[in-house]
Amino acid sequence: MIDFVIAQVQNLEDAASVEAQTLDSVILGEQFYFFTVVLMWLIHAGFMTYEAGVVRRKNVMATAMKNILTIAVVTPSFYYFGWWIYNCNQPGLPIGPNSTDFTAVACQGGIPWSDAFGPNLTNNINLIFFLAFLLFSWTTASIMSGALLERVRLSAYLVLAVLLGSAVWILDAAWGWSAGGWLTLRFGFHDSIASGVVHGVAGAFTLGVLFNLGPRIGKYTREGLARQFRPQNLHGTLLGLMLIFTGFYAFYGACLVISSTAFPGWANIYLSPTTLGSISMVITFGFAGGFTGGYFAARGDPFWTVSGGLAGVIGVSAGADVYAPSVAYLLSAATAALAVYAGNWIEKKMRVDDVVGAVAVHGFSGFLGMLWVGIFAAGYPTGLNNVDSSIGGQLMGMATFLPLGFLSGWVSSLILKKLNLLRVPPEVELEGLDVAEYEEDLYMPESAKLGEMMVEPDGSLVPAEGVLREAEREVVR
Amino acid sequence: MALLIDSSPDCIISKEGATPADDSVDFILQARYEDCAGIMTFGPGSTYGDEGAAADTGYYIVTWLGITFMVVTLIMWMAYENRQLIGHVGRIRGRDGGPPPQPGGVGGEV
Repeated sequence: MIDFVIAQVQNLEDAASVEAQTLDSVILGEQFYFFTVVLMWLIHAGFMTYEAGVVRRKNVMATAMKNILTIAVVTPSFYYFGWWIYNCNQPGLPIGPNSTDFTAVACQGGIPWSDAFGPNLTNNINLIFFLAFLLFSWTTASIMSGALLERVRLSAYLVLAVLLGSAVWILDAAWGWSAGGWLTLRFGFHDSIASGVVHGVAGAFTLGVLFNLGPRIGKYTREGLARQFRPQNLHGTLLGLMLIFTGFYAFYGACLVISSTAFPGWANIYLSPTTLGSISMVITFGFAGGFTGGYFAARGDPFWTVSGGLAGVIGVSAGADVYAPSVAYLLSAATAALAVYAGNWIEKKMRVDDVVGAVAVHGFSGFLGMLWVGIFAAGYPTGLNNVDSSIGGQLMGMATFLPLGFLSGWVSSLILKKLNLLRVPPEVELEGLDVAEYEEDLYMPESAKLGEMMVEPDGSLVPAEGVLREAEREVVR
Repeated sequence: MALLIDSSPDCIISKEGATPADDSVDFILQARYEDCAGIMTFGPGSTYGDEGAAADTGYYIVTWLGITFMVVTLIMWMAYENRQLIGHVGRIRGRDGGPPPQPGGVGGEV
């Protein structure tokens, strides 16, 4: 009996040792990121549901398949070069694993043939942290996906998704969303939960693509007034957004660095201290303010009310590690309201056909979120050099990310357009992508009898067939 | 010793009659793994930070095969879809009495 008690005491002493604590904290971190990865799948399920709901019935399956196949192309490309871009390009120029730069150790874990980039008994974190970033990459590519619906080719989208999801966003993340990024080290750039790094850049990239892709047939009258296509399932769209919102909590959590043996146990991506509760409060108040701002700015429109929640959260993400809840509430309401106006301006004045308002909700709100930090979260030491966050640093980040995102999207889509590989033929667009891509109408024939309807600029509901036939003749002949 | 192909790293050693390590709680690191950190197939079998950029030839081959497969599938995706769309537009135009699409294109862009 006495031997048993002594053994138990010895076990307790062993468990309390520094080595055991360190191992425990590593495994705790591994588990934490694992569950954020699982929950972030909801974002992707949400994007699919959301986009499949917002399109017309004839494009549902093509839309859903586009979302699913994002995973098929972004996953390997992010593994083969995305993680290298993040880990080996933080100083601004590529470095090697033998560089004297302090990010060289991270760089070792980012090259595909590193022994830390596969099953390794002494490294629990690299793979699971990679997976968290991979889910960010899926999200970034999916942001673009919704804007291009109903006329982009699947293969063109997949090429653009690889470029955005595995190269463009992760390059700006290396520069401005890492402890060793040059924007952070030199300018104190602060974007803790990726307002601009993910959303802003994805929105800018998308805008560049939309300029080359052009609007859907029949979207605008000859006078340039915007028509509205009726979504085939608005409930699905709203459900999709709710799934995205749920997954966003995991996205937020995965943006933190967990370090249970160091006070206070959590740090933002720049390794500055914060807590999980802090960012959770901000995201929750961001939704509250965003819904409110969206509702009033859009006069109760359901689509923009719920999208306002997303815009609101994106607007406060950059400073989510330090914002007071009231600041988050007010800023998110303002961001959402401004995003509604921006969305309407983009559609009606710029005549850019962004099916889900991604440029406004993600791009505009993301850049606004970066700006808010320069005003409402200035003076916080950021990055390993402890440079204070400031309006100048934020503007430097914005001035870097805007051309990076926009030009890469515009140039790549222009090349695809010149090769006649960007957009489906007008006949296919009119008939619906499902029939062309999957060779059958996947819905019950009875539902087709309802016919396709659309809303004219004066608000009248009309059968779409005549309008679209006339618009097609202008395009084809 | 594996029968025909040994795709495990060299750090996994052969020990006759190897049993779990003395401490029964240490159930993962069994005797044949005790010198090993990176255990992935075709991997170098080194410890993290030690020659992390190096790999066995087999692992380079596997990696480059993966990269090649990824690039080829993207190109095939574009070619396959283009052919599919050309065929479908041809059917639509044939049905509607319009001219069939010419090779290399499927009608004007908007």
